[in-house]
Amino acid sequence: MKPPIFDYATPASVAEAIALLARYEGEAKLLSGGQSLVPLLNMRLARPAVLVDLARIAALDWVRVADGVVAIGAMTRQRTVELAPEVQERHPLLHAGLQLIAHPQNRNQGTIGGSLAHADPAAELPALAVALDASFEAAGPEGTRTVAAADFFLTYLTTALAATEILTSVRFPMLPARTGWAIQEVARRHGDFALAGVVAVVGLALSGAISRARVVLYGVGATPVRAAAAERLLEGHVADAALLASASAQAAADLEEPLTDVHASADYRRDLARVLVGRALAEAMTRAHAA
Amino acid sequence: MSSAEKAIPRSLAEIPNSRPRYIGRPTNRLEDPALLTGRTQFIDDVVLPRMLHCAILRSPHAHAKITAIDTSAAEKLAGVAAIVTGEDARRWSNPVMTVPPGWGTHCLAIDKVRFVGEPVVAVAATSRYVAEDALELITVDYEPLPAVVDARQALAVGSPLLFEENGDNVMFRKLFTWGDVDAAFTDAAHVVQRDFRWHRLGANPLETFGVISQWDEVEGTLTCRGSFQAQNHFAMSRAMVFNLPLHKVRFISHPHGGSFGGKGGARGTDITALLSRKSGGRPVKWIEDRMEYLAGGASQAWDRHYDAALALDVDGKVLGFRVRLLDDLGATAEGWGAVSAAKPLTAFTGCYAIPAAQYDLTIVATNKLPGSPYRGMGPPPHNWVLEQLMDLAARELGLDPAEIRRRNFIPPAAFPYTIASGNEYDSGNYEATLAAALAMGDYRALREKQARLRSEGRYLGIGLVTTIEPGVFDWNAYAIVGQPGTGVPEGATVAIDLFGKLTIKVGFALEGQGQYTVAAQVLADWFNVDIADVRVIPLDTLSAPPHFGPGGSRLGVAVTGAVLGAAQRLTEKLIAVAAGLFRTTPDQVELRDGRIGVKGNPEASMPFQEVAQAMLGRSDLLPPGIDPNPEATYVWTAPGRTPADDQGRAKSYLTAANACHLVVVEVDVDTAQVRIEKYWIADDCGTRLNPASVEGQTQGGVAQGVGAALLEEAVYDEDGQLRTSTFMDYLLPTIYEVPMTVKQALCTPSPFAPLGAKGCGEGAMHATPAAILCAINDALAPLGLEFREVPASPQRLWTLLRQARRDR
Repeated sequence: MKPPIFDYATPASVAEAIALLARYEGEAKLLSGGQSLVPLLNMRLARPAVLVDLARIAALDWVRVADGVVAIGAMTRQRTVELAPEVQERHPLLHAGLQLIAHPQNRNQGTIGGSLAHADPAAELPALAVALDASFEAAGPEGTRTVAAADFFLTYLTTALAATEILTSVRFPMLPARTGWAIQEVARRHGDFALAGVVAVVGLALSGAISRARVVLYGVGATPVRAAAAERLLEGHVADAALLASASAQAAADLEEPLTDVHASADYRRDLARVLVGRALAEAMTRAHAA
Repeated sequence: MSSAEKAIPRSLAEIPNSRPRYIGRPTNRLEDPALLTGRTQFIDDVVLPRMLHCAILRSPHAHAKITAIDTSAAEKLAGVAAIVTGEDARRWSNPVMTVPPGWGTHCLAIDKVRFVGEPVVAVAATSRYVAEDALELITVDYEPLPAVVDARQALAVGSPLLFEENGDNVMFRKLFTWGDVDAAFTDAAHVVQRDFRWHRLGANPLETFGVISQWDEVEGTLTCRGSFQAQNHFAMSRAMVFNLPLHKVRFISHPHGGSFGGKGGARGTDITALLSRKSGGRPVKWIEDRMEYLAGGASQAWDRHYDAALALDVDGKVLGFRVRLLDDLGATAEGWGAVSAAKPLTAFTGCYAIPAAQYDLTIVATNKLPGSPYRGMGPPPHNWVLEQLMDLAARELGLDPAEIRRRNFIPPAAFPYTIASGNEYDSGNYEATLAAALAMGDYRALREKQARLRSEGRYLGIGLVTTIEPGVFDWNAYAIVGQPGTGVPEGATVAIDLFGKLTIKVGFALEGQGQYTVAAQVLADWFNVDIADVRVIPLDTLSAPPHFGPGGSRLGVAVTGAVLGAAQRLTEKLIAVAAGLFRTTPDQVELRDGRIGVKGNPEASMPFQEVAQAMLGRSDLLPPGIDPNPEATYVWTAPGRTPADDQGRAKSYLTAANACHLVVVEVDVDTAQVRIEKYWIADDCGTRLNPASVEGQTQGGVAQGVGAALLEEAVYDEDGQLRTSTFMDYLLPTIYEVPMTVKQALCTPSPFAPLGAKGCGEGAMHATPAAILCAINDALAPLGLEFREVPASPQRLWTLLRQARRDR
């Protein structure tokens, strides 16, 4: 378990990093925490010509909570965001989601941008981004652009980022008033990638009916999966047990064939999705009523 | 020594110290300061001059002929010093010895491969990086053969054969019958019969195996430094593999990060020895990485299919116990895995007085990694089968699980008690252990809570099991599968230096269990000195007295016996000298509380250290003909052991520790998740030499038991590909999954073992998987479901629960 030979670069700026990506023409790999990449290197499953380590780019390490948004520099460690008091206070869903990522040791190394750009479909951050309509800022040779979360995750481990682009920051909108949330997952062990997980957000109208529902599943598809039909079932209705049951059944039924692996079959993942959507919606409703 | 030598003390009252300070009290471990400050030197820390690094190319096929190997490109890579293949192994070595015999291979595959991960080619280079680069330049042509992965298919006519010359895949088959088991089942009022499946899992020490081998062509010697659990055992095997006299093989065991049975890496040792020889005698290091360990190391054990039955009378008294076991040992018998099928004989009927039993044992070969020993060595699955059957019988008879156990316990007055399968239990009070666990957990309240939650649609399960941990292993237990011998020696040399400090020399390396501390406790109390005045030094195989080391819950007891015996002999020497100094006869002199003096005359005494100093520095004062060396050696072996008869019956493991585990789990029937809510253990392992270490052994055993019950499994697909090749897929329990248990210690001393201590190193692994599985089944009982597979993975539980949902 030793990697083959590679070059190693430590750019001090985003521009320098982009120049390296351009120079190596797709043979470069960005190192931004290394919690997934380093094992791939050691197993010789990834064989980049150069490793571009973003750790020295101080301009990518920041958290700002203002204007209804938690904005985070891509190289900010997950643990830094998790421990930021203003995140804990003003974005409890993001805080709760961060706590489900692996273990504190991993979150001390792993970065927000690294996890999002790696785009593991069983990871929490991509699902949170989709559920919250996050937006991503990417920098490339042509300048910067903004990508909506809905357009960012293309398929398994693949994003809308070009080979010469770097994810520089992400903006997570805070939740409005009269809105409840929940994030629930089932994993083999505490801290493992989820067999299935769900982020649920529900907003209530003054009437008590659900004005807005957002249900995003993870671990059950090639990307985070929005349960759009289930959301439509919920919106405009007062939630009761029957409604939540039909919404969760809808969400599970709409899934394309989930992954089968050594831990869970597609059928088991689909059934977990059903159970978890129901539970998460119930939990989110409780919070919405309390909010 | 004379035949009048004193017996080894079997209680603390027999040692010459009225105020022992260490034995039986929680004692800080001598091993820990270096471990906790990172100063312990593990094998990967060792760097020798001109050392090379080894990487191993492994088979990607479960079963294939090797048609060609081309290493020419790798040989040209800068930094590569030597490459070895099966041809080198054939030229310079023999196939490894196996148990049972005749099912082994050389360290590198010759002609064909038999499992994914089998070593095929090895490279020694200037760094591990270069060695791994070289592996990519080697081509091996394979002609794939059909693989057999399922044990039942391996028995079928026409199955692919692992060793064609053996004619079939049956490594071992024997029916053991103890007592009139047919009558027991004929006369029974109730028979409870079920099948059980325990899937492959095994040991995962923090540190994988590592070795540095050096071949000296001039002297014709082989020196191996490494993380060997039993250095002398591996040295003997290497002498046989390389046709060397044993005294030309030196094994130096380094401190290692755990073992749990399989640490020793025969193939890696042999491969590095071949590479050293081929590179002209340069030392060659190989550090097994985790993926190598999971695919090709000592990581898998106990791949078992059971069909078992209890015969009971109307009162729930067990009349007979039948077990048919199909044990899947994998590709070869090189890993000592077969002894795990034999060890259950030492406690076949558990805590119960069952007069008749039968064991129909078949061990087969399949195209999977050869099985290795693992903590407990076989009884953990066996105990689960027995305990689960006891629960099912209780359910059939309408008895509480505690009550059916009580009705069948061997009563305290019956010890020493010979069980049907022949081993003798030294002592015990099983009813007291059960009562302690029930009281700790408030069993009645737990049952009430369970009923209350059931009415709310929640499924709480209570697991209650009582088990035996056989302690102080003996080879005679393994005679039936081809491992001969009776008795396992463990030696210690005890010395006093000129400055009056004490040294204990032993033949085993630091492994984590704290036996150096036990040795030092015993000697410190014997001579009434501070434990800091005792140092324990491990010696290599050519320097140490005869030894085996840790294994089979033996070393704490065995080293205590060795140190007591050596201390006793040394004391006799000191007394002989002191008698001269006091101008009296030895029978008038004694050691008491650290002073040697004339009996009944407190004025005529001196610190024992001064006697030793006189021996080393005042020859003028010594009586003529006296041995002036203040040092003595004693080799302890368990007393009273007997060879096995044709049914495998022997006085085997010396001690029988007993535990009762009580656990509460909750099963989420919608997600198939199992959560351990609370865990109590009442445990009786006789005298606790260092209670702090026993506590650690127990809790560690629980951790591995939780892993076995719920998480760990080596999964092969139908082509024999390993699907759990990293820790992403082979799941070890973490601190989040393992409950901190509430424990209570009971003490029924062993009447046979030194200081009354019983083996306890394999600990709670004996009971935890059974306890958790019994709890899960208790939770599922109201649904009419039974779950009989280990591990109880969520996928399996969900499949069962879904089937039940559909059936309703």
